[in-house]
Amino acid sequence: MKNRTKLPNVYLGILLALMYVPILLVIIYSFNESKLSSVWGGFSLRWYEELFRDRALFASLANSLVLAVLSSLSAGVIGTLGAYGMSKVHLPLQGAVEYISTLPMMIPEIILGMVFMAFFSLVGIPFGMGALVIAHTAFCIPYVFMLVKARLVGMDPALAEAAQDLGASKVRVFFDVTLPLVAPAIASGMLLAFAMSMDDVIISVFVTGVNTTTLPVRIYSQLKTGVTPEINALCTLLFAATLLLCGLAALLGRAPKKQDAGKDVTDR
Amino acid sequence: MAKPAGKKRNKYGGEALTLVPLYLFTLLFLVGPLVYMVVLSFLTQADTWGVVPEFTLENYAAIGEPVYLETFWESLKLAVITTVLVIGLGYPFGYFMAKLGPKWKRRTMLLLMIPFWTSSLIRLYGWIIIFRAGGVFDTLLTSLHITSESLKLLYTYPAVVVGMVYALLPFMIFAVYSSAEKMDFSLVEAARDLGASPFRAFLTVTLKLTLPGLLSGVVLTFVPSMGLFFIADILGGNKVVLVGNLIQSALMKAHDWPFAAALSVVLMLMTTLLIWLYRKVSGVKDLEGIV
Amino acid sequence: MKKFAAAVLAALLLVSTLAGCSGASGGENGELVLYTWEGMFPQEVLDGFTEETGIAVNYTNFDTDETMLARLEAAKGGDYDLVIADDYIIETAIAAGLVQELDTSKLENYGSINPVYQGQFYDPENKYTVPYGAGVQTIVYNPEAVDVEIQGYADLWDASLEDNLGVIGSFRVINGMALKVLGESYNTEDVATIEAAGDKLLELAPNIRLIKDSNTQDDLLSGEVGAAVLYTSQATQAKMANPDLEVVFPEEGIGFGVMAQFIPANAPNADAAYAFMDYILRPEVSAQCFEYIGYYCTNLDAEEYISEEYRDFLTLPEDIDASSMEMIENVSAEALEAHNRVWTEFQAACE
Repeated sequence: MKNRTKLPNVYLGILLALMYVPILLVIIYSFNESKLSSVWGGFSLRWYEELFRDRALFASLANSLVLAVLSSLSAGVIGTLGAYGMSKVHLPLQGAVEYISTLPMMIPEIILGMVFMAFFSLVGIPFGMGALVIAHTAFCIPYVFMLVKARLVGMDPALAEAAQDLGASKVRVFFDVTLPLVAPAIASGMLLAFAMSMDDVIISVFVTGVNTTTLPVRIYSQLKTGVTPEINALCTLLFAATLLLCGLAALLGRAPKKQDAGKDVTDR
Repeated sequence: MAKPAGKKRNKYGGEALTLVPLYLFTLLFLVGPLVYMVVLSFLTQADTWGVVPEFTLENYAAIGEPVYLETFWESLKLAVITTVLVIGLGYPFGYFMAKLGPKWKRRTMLLLMIPFWTSSLIRLYGWIIIFRAGGVFDTLLTSLHITSESLKLLYTYPAVVVGMVYALLPFMIFAVYSSAEKMDFSLVEAARDLGASPFRAFLTVTLKLTLPGLLSGVVLTFVPSMGLFFIADILGGNKVVLVGNLIQSALMKAHDWPFAAALSVVLMLMTTLLIWLYRKVSGVKDLEGIV
Repeated sequence: MKKFAAAVLAALLLVSTLAGCSGASGGENGELVLYTWEGMFPQEVLDGFTEETGIAVNYTNFDTDETMLARLEAAKGGDYDLVIADDYIIETAIAAGLVQELDTSKLENYGSINPVYQGQFYDPENKYTVPYGAGVQTIVYNPEAVDVEIQGYADLWDASLEDNLGVIGSFRVINGMALKVLGESYNTEDVATIEAAGDKLLELAPNIRLIKDSNTQDDLLSGEVGAAVLYTSQATQAKMANPDLEVVFPEEGIGFGVMAQFIPANAPNADAAYAFMDYILRPEVSAQCFEYIGYYCTNLDAEEYISEEYRDFLTLPEDIDASSMEMIENVSAEALEAHNRVWTEFQAACE
């Protein structure tokens, strides 16, 4: 590549490694015999055993994953289309809508959770997955929106115009030209949104239904009686599953072009 | 770019459709709750639980008490420190990341995100293990003969700052990356060939082209850091009081919903104002709107 | 993009398998929706109940009492069959009409309840609740790391404890310590008195190393602090891990709180709730539960089933009875606001 030195890559490597240090410790302590994180009680698989007996915990993990996938997807669609539209046209109230849609970022989660709860019960939206997805989408949109917008700003309009002059419809131009160009921003925004949603407790606890307790809610509600290393074990498994998933995705992606041939966006 | 230059107005019919989801969502699900919050902030607290519909300005007046004003100041200070550090660490990361090959870009992106897909509480426990007396950091330093006794790093201000930077770094990295990734790096080389110093080339070309991303990154780190409080709770031993804590305890301890709402409204206005000022000062015309 | 799509697909696949094997399947005799903190029951007890009655347990959680009440209010006293929460919030819930009266004739083991924990302020006539565990405020310290012999709250102000004290984040308990040192009640509604306690607390600030709700006992065990004011379950865990720690019942008086079970006004399946309450009142089951959660046992008949190693932590010492104890009750809005302000000032002063 054009890098004259390897220094930048060393920097990337070091910072990434540092980010994994806390995770590494979480993994190590998931094998700790003692219930207390301050004492090393020897190696043990005790917490994994307890984990697998705890069916409620797995149910809430499933809830969390469904919720994170749904809300990052809907935030991805709404946020991307919104940022694109705003860069193209000027409708009335555009500034106001843009401002209001980013407000969930500026309001602490706890009050947001409370007002969402009050609002949902007022208009009759039942508490449960639907309410959770709406609330999570609300605080995920700004992340996608802002990243996509930052990428669209100053992007060369010539490409899109050229495509249009060649007779492509606007829809085609959007899917074939614009979308591939903003794909890295969409992916970044959705990854952040997914992480935010997977981790949210405070809003979830207010709008969750009887059958939709999420994983973070379960973890935080343990504070009363003490968080056990069972959660460390679960995080370790999650971590391993994510790695596995990435590996799997890489394998699938490497397979000869079967799906959506010729549209490999992130590869530019 | 903001305006479809040279195009006729009535052509935007089709493209306006892309705004429908955002408009609808905002109208249906955001306006209501936000109006409720503002209304709430003018109501009176009921004696033990809930609110009575009596108009009052007292909730806003209460914010004027020195102890609460100081909390706003403390939050602001921590948010600024955090944001500056996040820029320092995250900007180069995002920039260098954009220079990687396509395969490594994706890998780095995933590697960045995976830690953040596990519970933040558990990650903070990881930091506790590092910082606590006789923990990883202490052991490292003593075995290298740098210090001889525990530094007692846990439950201090620096520990809080580390936790905040750790939690918010990905937002900056991703924002800078998405805008640097589309940059034409040959422009920098051209500037260098024309005799610009590396520093000057950076200022006139790189920084200018990545500014939208940097700005988004600043907003994405600064704004949440005003409200994040559980990091201060867990790594700071609850001794650094932030506006987020205030709102939390107003709601959950004092059952004073109107006061919590008033605090949130003030926080929201303050954040808006700061971002607006920041935009003015940095003179970015490209980014319209408030955010 | 392909890889991204593949990743999403794979994730969805994983999710659906997970959901498939853990989906909340109703039991043959219906379902009990239990609403409380996580970690309040050992899995064996929940399984034992389902096995015996055919009622599946749907264990849902809240993080704080206040969230619970807000949610219950939004559900108009429905959705949930049995709630376990703290005393003060139950008083509010009863006042809001969200709790139904108990028919104690449906509880065969009702007589096992320790009367010390009954008839308290939140339910003076025992019409609505059955206690499930009590918290008793104690001071725990490591004699090797502390130079004073701690006998009461006043000793925590000792200058030798500088930067060596950890406390929980429960503001009524901590403000209450200062009130107790001043010889006042936990439940005073006099704002001037609360402010005086606030001034007293500011003098304690230099000794405070941390204020923390979660796993505070770890800091005592790792030597981060020498003395700590802990929640009961934390004190139990600390003492179990290090028997050399001293547990002090403060001489100024003992504060305590009760967690209790109640059936919401419009519970969909109140019968299941009765069945569950009765099941966990059985002395053997009860003992199992209290050993698990580490709170004081509120079931008199269960005490003999509690194993030797736990007994000291889960039952009150002989010389302490209800007369030397005071519960933390709800106070007026002005008093609560004063507590909140005093608490914020204290927190800020600790830094």
